[in-house]
Amino acid sequence: MRILAYIIKRVLAAVPVLIGVSILTFLISHAIPGDPARIIVGPKASKEAVEAIRREHGLDRPLPVQYVRYMTGLMQGDLGQSIRNHRPVTKDLADFFPATLELTLASLVLCLAVGIPLGILAAVRRNRLADHVARVFSVIGVSTPVFWLGLMLLLLFYRNLGWLPGSGRLDITSTPPAAVTGLYVVDAVLARDWALLKEVLSHLILPAFCLSYVYLAVITRIVRSSMIAVLGQDYITTARANGLSAARVVFKHAFKNSLIPTVTIAGLSLGELLGGAILTETIFAWPGMGKYVVDSINALDFPAIMGFTLLASTAYVVINLGVDVLYAFLNPRIRY
Amino acid sequence: MRIWTLCLLLLITALAPAALAADKDTLVVGVSSDIHTLDPGVSSDNYDWRQIYPCYDRLVKYKVKDGVGLTEVEPMAAESWAVSADGLKWTFKIRKGIAFDDGTPLNAEAVRYSFDRTIAIGKGPADNLTAIASMAVVDDYTLEITLKNPYGPFLQTLATDGASIINPKVADRAVNDDKAQAFLAENVDGSGPFKIVEWTRGQRCVLEAKPNYWGGAPKLKKVIIRFMAESADRRMALEQGDVDIAENILIDQIPALEKNKDVVVNRFPSQMVEYVYVNCQNEKLKDPAVRQALSYAVDYQGIIDHVLQGNGVQMRGPIPDGMWGHRKDVFQYKRDTAKAKELLKAAGAENLELTLIYSERRATWEQIALVMQANLAEIGVKLNLELMANPTLRDKIDKGDFELCLGAWSPDFADPYMFMNFWFDSAKAGLPGNRSFYKNDKVDELVRKAEVSSVVEERKKLYGEAQDIIMQDAPYIFLYQIQTIVPLRADVQGYVFNPMLESMYNFEAISKK
Repeated sequence: MRILAYIIKRVLAAVPVLIGVSILTFLISHAIPGDPARIIVGPKASKEAVEAIRREHGLDRPLPVQYVRYMTGLMQGDLGQSIRNHRPVTKDLADFFPATLELTLASLVLCLAVGIPLGILAAVRRNRLADHVARVFSVIGVSTPVFWLGLMLLLLFYRNLGWLPGSGRLDITSTPPAAVTGLYVVDAVLARDWALLKEVLSHLILPAFCLSYVYLAVITRIVRSSMIAVLGQDYITTARANGLSAARVVFKHAFKNSLIPTVTIAGLSLGELLGGAILTETIFAWPGMGKYVVDSINALDFPAIMGFTLLASTAYVVINLGVDVLYAFLNPRIRY
Repeated sequence: MRIWTLCLLLLITALAPAALAADKDTLVVGVSSDIHTLDPGVSSDNYDWRQIYPCYDRLVKYKVKDGVGLTEVEPMAAESWAVSADGLKWTFKIRKGIAFDDGTPLNAEAVRYSFDRTIAIGKGPADNLTAIASMAVVDDYTLEITLKNPYGPFLQTLATDGASIINPKVADRAVNDDKAQAFLAENVDGSGPFKIVEWTRGQRCVLEAKPNYWGGAPKLKKVIIRFMAESADRRMALEQGDVDIAENILIDQIPALEKNKDVVVNRFPSQMVEYVYVNCQNEKLKDPAVRQALSYAVDYQGIIDHVLQGNGVQMRGPIPDGMWGHRKDVFQYKRDTAKAKELLKAAGAENLELTLIYSERRATWEQIALVMQANLAEIGVKLNLELMANPTLRDKIDKGDFELCLGAWSPDFADPYMFMNFWFDSAKAGLPGNRSFYKNDKVDELVRKAEVSSVVEERKKLYGEAQDIIMQDAPYIFLYQIQTIVPLRADVQGYVFNPMLESMYNFEAISKK
């Protein structure tokens, strides 16, 4: 019950945060010099044509009026019409967000599935070969530019070795699966199309690894540091002295108590990834939010910029709330 | 660790791609950006037209002669036409036997509806049809178009994407009086040789050929347009054979492609030009002598040889080579720093400081800006460089809030009007065309006379005379006319480049060996 009350309190507190974000984004995007009406009609169009479009989209109204109109629409689930794509922003987000979500989740799985064991190994085998390898692997991860890594992965695994397919979510000639969730892995499983599942996974590996590498490196180091700190505690020495196996000491006693910083980093990483990994999405022709929002900014597509910002902010709020709730489960001493 | 390595190898083996079967009936084009809209009455973007153009017919089309795309037009949906002596009334005879996919005939009413719709929507494509005063359906297959004034380029405008003929039945799809914009943004309803059967945003667009097309069945069955933002990605896909044509490959990657025996790199002289707008209203640049000095300072050939790696030709006059009206004898600026310094001294403009703005629209602009900075430094002009986002740059141009600006231009239709009137008519000052805010009463008179004449020789003479004045006034620094580079797989046949159809393809005539 206390957790439930805490969650409700946090959700209510998120509302003014999201309103503040919307006002700030609205003001900043309108402060950028540029005329979206001109972008719609093209550079060679006459001034009269530009004025007509400005009136059509309400861009000639005062800023507060435009903001109120936007928020009124938002309350009814209408995020406005994309100036660039001439369609509801909600449709655009529905098209592009699942791709980002799928890539993000795959990256997160890789981060945790590789980063945590590597960090534990490095901590348990501290100052030995495994530790050195893990640390070099981490340093490379945080130092390597994502765009370079992506191109090298394509060059090696696609062009030179032919082990993995090129960019995109699917082969060029393949038709996307019937959209249920928009996550091709899930949709392929639901359709029991195993050939398609294989194809989707093969396309997901390289961009997921490229995107996850830097976060994986950070998680490895965080897990290593936390584990080393916990493994040095008196109660661990006691547990060993009592004859508990190494595995039991590490996984049952040490690991759980070192998870708090890892969960924090994982939560922050997830929020950042959901914001759109523009470089990875560009290199791998991944049709996600990153490229969508950059193109929207370049075109001063205000409704799209606002829609994306609100979506990303909501995601951050939800993830942070999830992380805070998880703390209570990981550490019973934490109470809200 | 050994277990992890084994798992990784097994995973890679399991997921290794099956070899893509070579499909001779499918053409794949790797392009740099997604489509925004499929509506020919709305789109002002060549990248949209690439998909829209093959789905519709127009009254006229560009000629092809001996495998070369020309800028002259010939009959398409119109089998003939006549124009009145005063140049105001055009009568088109529409070809019988053309129908849309639902069986609706393409007739005079369909043409009238399409043009009316584009004009009423009032977005970019409407500008090419603003000369139309009224239209009358004389009979089912005869349409009479009356112009507001005689308009020399009128016939050429009918080959543009905005003049595509739409099925009038789309009117039934209108929502809230939007003239079916919402429907046509995502669908096509034309009589052209292809139709769009799938558009997965951000991923691909699939066109299917119509075997019963009145102009002859296309050789291909399917065209897939694949959106790939990164040049290196498109290049790798071309080398692997996953795409057949790759657009916009960065210049520095072309030499490597030329060494690949499975790839043919074609170069074509295009009508796209790059130039510098010199703000003639700015106090520092009002004097033509100062503007001439800047034109004398630039190392044109150095830019072409080293930045473009030879893929360009210095502009000679404002009308590019290949467009009628181009004069091979008009004055051309060549680098002459001594002359430039002399002009600045005589104008009392030594120690000038200027700012050149540019956007990230072209990968080469940063380098060109740096070259110009060095060139102008040699004549004592300090050139500051400012990179900015494209919408911001456009805003500054529209307001005249700049000194020098790098820009690019390509004609919408094959008529020197696209250069001479847009660039130099003072009524088009600002972003619409006259981006140097140039004003010369004599030039205004000449280009406006040429606009309303339908006699080509007369127009040539008027534009020719205007060019002499313009080159002396130097309102722009005319850099170069680019070469369009189209790398494609060696088994692709029948591709014809048309300088009026940049980033567009004659899919109906292309095949694969």
